[in-house]
Amino acid sequence: MSPNSLPETVTVTIDGTPGEAWAGQSVTAVLVAAGIWPLRRNPVNGQLRGPFCGMGVCLECEVTINGRPGSRSCTAHVAEGMDIRTHTEPLPTAAHG
Amino acid sequence: MAESEADVAVIGGGPAGLHAALVLARGGLSVVLLDESDTLGGQYYKRRTDQLTAAFGDFRPRGTELIHRVRAAGVVVRTGTLVWGAEDAGRTLFTSDVRTGALGRITTRATLAATGAYERSLPFPGWTLPGVVTPGFALHLATMDRVPVGQRVVLAGTGPFLLPVACALLEVGARIEALVELNHPYRPSTSAIGGALRQPARLAEAARYLLTLARHGVGVEQGARVLAAHGDTQVTAVDIGQEDGGVRQLETDALCVGFGFRPSTELPRLLGCDTRADPTGTEQLPVVDADGATSVDGLYVAGDCAGIAGVHAAGVRGQLAAHAILRRLAPERAPVRLSGLRRRARALDRFAELADRLYPLPTTADIPDATQVCRCEGVSAGEIREAAATGWNDLHGTKAATRAGMGPCQGRECGHIVAALTGRNESWAECFAARMPIRPLPMAATVEGQDVP
Ligand SMILES: Cc1cc2nc3c(=O)[nH]c(=O)nc-3n(C[C@H](O)[C@H](O)[C@H](O)COP(=O)(O)OP(=O)(O)OC[C@H]3O[C@@H](n4cnc5c(N)ncnc54)[C@H](O)[C@@H]3O)c2cc1C
Ligand code: FES
Repeated sequence: MSPNSLPETVTVTIDGTPGEAWAGQSVTAVLVAAGIWPLRRNPVNGQLRGPFCGMGVCLECEVTINGRPGSRSCTAHVAEGMDIRTHTEPLPTAAHG
Repeated sequence: MAESEADVAVIGGGPAGLHAALVLARGGLSVVLLDESDTLGGQYYKRRTDQLTAAFGDFRPRGTELIHRVRAAGVVVRTGTLVWGAEDAGRTLFTSDVRTGALGRITTRATLAATGAYERSLPFPGWTLPGVVTPGFALHLATMDRVPVGQRVVLAGTGPFLLPVACALLEVGARIEALVELNHPYRPSTSAIGGALRQPARLAEAARYLLTLARHGVGVEQGARVLAAHGDTQVTAVDIGQEDGGVRQLETDALCVGFGFRPSTELPRLLGCDTRADPTGTEQLPVVDADGATSVDGLYVAGDCAGIAGVHAAGVRGQLAAHAILRRLAPERAPVRLSGLRRRARALDRFAELADRLYPLPTTADIPDATQVCRCEGVSAGEIREAAATGWNDLHGTKAATRAGMGPCQGRECGHIVAALTGRNESWAECFAARMPIRPLPMAATVEGQDVP
């Protein structure tokens, strides 16, 4: 099959800011494409963490998706209107300010 | 709880499970194929989502065709279904729907575990910084999602897998700042070449990757390694230790580091099958006969979870296990000549052994004490060494004393490193015990699951 056109886009909201993503992309891909790497803090030492394994093993990529906390962003795919929230407080970076 | 029955359950819809399910269903048995991901294919025949396939084409058409044949043969396919526990020699499987958490129980006459592998990571200072990832993650982003993991990327570690990852990154427009291979595989000794020549297809594949890299001006720096990653909120620079002892620092947006794969053996170990140490001495592999039968009657394993040997070996091993199960459950069927499959399996195993020799792992002795080993619980190499040195702390005691391996990933990332750091006897690899549930379950399942035996 040969590629025909660019994929359809959907609108997702990352930490309150709306943006576009290709339908069917993984949530980590959308975050990485937006330059958003830190997704959460390690509960033990407070260090910033971001996606590491990309295959559901490390659990470093957990965010809140449509109100469901502890969602692995690497195994979730975006859909129209998806609400994605990272948990990097108390040091939010400019990227998701 | 939903109950169901099948002659055979195949756990894992990668190359091994798919090939096995096809043979079993064509042999007239009722087969249920379970996979926790929402599509079949496993790591090699991964599926792009429909929307991205429509725009960018089918990533692995051979996988699509294989999946089509499996469905057409009447295999009951249950994706999004995690097998989190098992008992009765694998004849009872406990499942959970990954999306809803709904629990289920499947009763079978035989079970094939084809659960694949994880990537092998080794800790170094800074490896927990956002932007430090596994090569598999970078490959996944590039091939499935068409997103480069960074504009400037450093790739490091050891193993043939680094080459296709580098090529996939180039294809989506990333610049490879450095490709750093710990060993010297690309000027192998004549004896190694002799072994590789019996697998000309694999050799040609590696040559193709190296050619693509050369065309983009990317050289493989051999005998070098990542010493540390630096950055504040995410990785911005990497120290590379060169062969001559020098260290150079590179600026980068992303660092991918991997040391090959580790078999995912929790299910067979949970069922108590005999195990043996793998070539790295930090994993316990199920002991199997030439057909993948374990010491647990009725339980078979195939593919990377029985020992890392790659996609082709996984397919062949899956077929051999399926034929063994057919002989067991439907002996009246005409015997099939399997000598060709057996020969291929042996040749592919020899090739895997060659790869093990070409890409040895570094020792864990030089992991600095301050380096975090357990990412979840933030436990350092020094704390683990100290616990192990108390004299009575074996691997499990060390886990209890330091909490290493007790976090949400349940030791899946660090278990082999904790094992290496606490290991006293090189010939006996310990590893964390497999326990139910073998993966974290959705809360809904835990609540509903109170009546699970
Ligand atoms: C991240 C990664 C990327 C890889 N990329 C490549 C590549 O590009 N090229 C290459 O040649 N090789 C690649 N490999 C190597 C690859 O693993 C093997 O070549 C091949 O896919 C092995 O096939 P398999 O059937 O044994 O396992 P896999 O293909 O790994 O399939 C195992 C399947 O089992 C499922 N599973 C595991 N546990 C459970 C459970 N408890 N319940 C339900 N389902 C479960 C998984 O979801 C998975 O789909 C990769 C490996 C990994 C880990
Ligand atoms: S990146 Fe490891 S679980 Fe998602």
